[in-house]
Amino acid sequence: MAPELTQYLENIRGKAKLGPADESGVMSELRAHIEDRVDELTESGMTEEEALKTCLGQMGSTKMIARQIYEAYSQGSWKQVLMASMPHLLFGGLFVLNWWHYPGWLSIILVLILATAVFGWSRGKPTWLFPWLGYTLLPVLAAGILLLYVPAGWSWLALPFYIPLALWWLFHVIVQTTRRDWLLSTAMLLPFPIIAGWFLAISPSGKINEDSLQRLSYLAPWIGLSFLIMAATTATFIRLRQRSLRVGLLAASGMLTLMLVVYYSTGRFAIATFLGLALVMCGLFLTPPLLEHYLARKRRRTLPDKKMRLA
Amino acid sequence: MVSKHDLIKGSSNSLLLSLLAGQSMYGYQIVKELETRSQGYFKFKEGTLYPALHRLEKAGLITGNWQMLPNGRQRRYYQITAKGQAELNEEKVQWQDFLIAIKMILQPEPSRI
Repeated sequence: MAPELTQYLENIRGKAKLGPADESGVMSELRAHIEDRVDELTESGMTEEEALKTCLGQMGSTKMIARQIYEAYSQGSWKQVLMASMPHLLFGGLFVLNWWHYPGWLSIILVLILATAVFGWSRGKPTWLFPWLGYTLLPVLAAGILLLYVPAGWSWLALPFYIPLALWWLFHVIVQTTRRDWLLSTAMLLPFPIIAGWFLAISPSGKINEDSLQRLSYLAPWIGLSFLIMAATTATFIRLRQRSLRVGLLAASGMLTLMLVVYYSTGRFAIATFLGLALVMCGLFLTPPLLEHYLARKRRRTLPDKKMRLA
Repeated sequence: MVSKHDLIKGSSNSLLLSLLAGQSMYGYQIVKELETRSQGYFKFKEGTLYPALHRLEKAGLITGNWQMLPNGRQRRYYQITAKGQAELNEEKVQWQDFLIAIKMILQPEPSRI
């Protein structure tokens, strides 16, 4: 395949952000169309280079085609809406119904989250998987918090294992998601500044004690509400076709929910803490696109080598 | 004034369904057929055909199937579904009403002037 054609298709592939199940079919179809047109043009007397140039001009800009393909595939079904919103609904229910203090319910939800994440991962990473995948990071965080309670000395033994493992899992999940679409990474990580905000609201010192449990009981309905807002955000995100609307929705919902946390934490936040959380929220909209840009550049650099090895 | 691009965009579903109602076709064949039948009027950026076909497929109006050619190449043939045929019939009626209304304004019968 000519390098111009490889580059053209690669540009569409990178911007269309399709799942693996759809991607190969769409790209094969476009390639077959271009090959047919080039054959016809070369038969009419053009050189192969001229034919390819003319054909790519007739096909249209990669940006326009990729945007239209994205919009044709981006809208999820109502079943996907339900699947994607489910982890937020489960956590929302846990707090709204005040069942958070039953370890059994929490364990069931965590096992369900891990099982669903493994199932979705093995089924070609459909769009509904990413909210579940985000929640698989919760046990990692919980383990980190539990390390604070390990007797002095033991935590120094656990940390060298915990920190690399936790960072590896976090990095792995984010990179895998960003490879598909940075916006899915942002959607996946959106609950984390909110969860961190609530955690700091109930326990500013970072340690859980009697006072923080009482505070958790008092705040539980509002914590539940913030999860329900995220469920509604995810549902709308799955149904929207346009990318710009999706970005706007996540940004508005993220900031609104963060304001809710600040409002109901009734003065327990220092200005610096609030600014820190707002900064983390902004980082969710800046870091994934930068990471995606880096990964795409890396992929483009390795692409010709791969083609040569295949040849 | 409505641009030619907008006219094509607004009628793309009817055009594609209408072509596929006659026979199953693959993308490149659809482009050629549109050009030939419209005597070159329906010329558009060819890459945009596929998102339009895939939108129709997602809506259940057409289905696509890969077929292997003797030369080893693969092509995806599209055919209209029963739901697509019903949609096409509805759109045909709408188009006919629209054309009659336009004609009544642009070319009024002498007795009505």
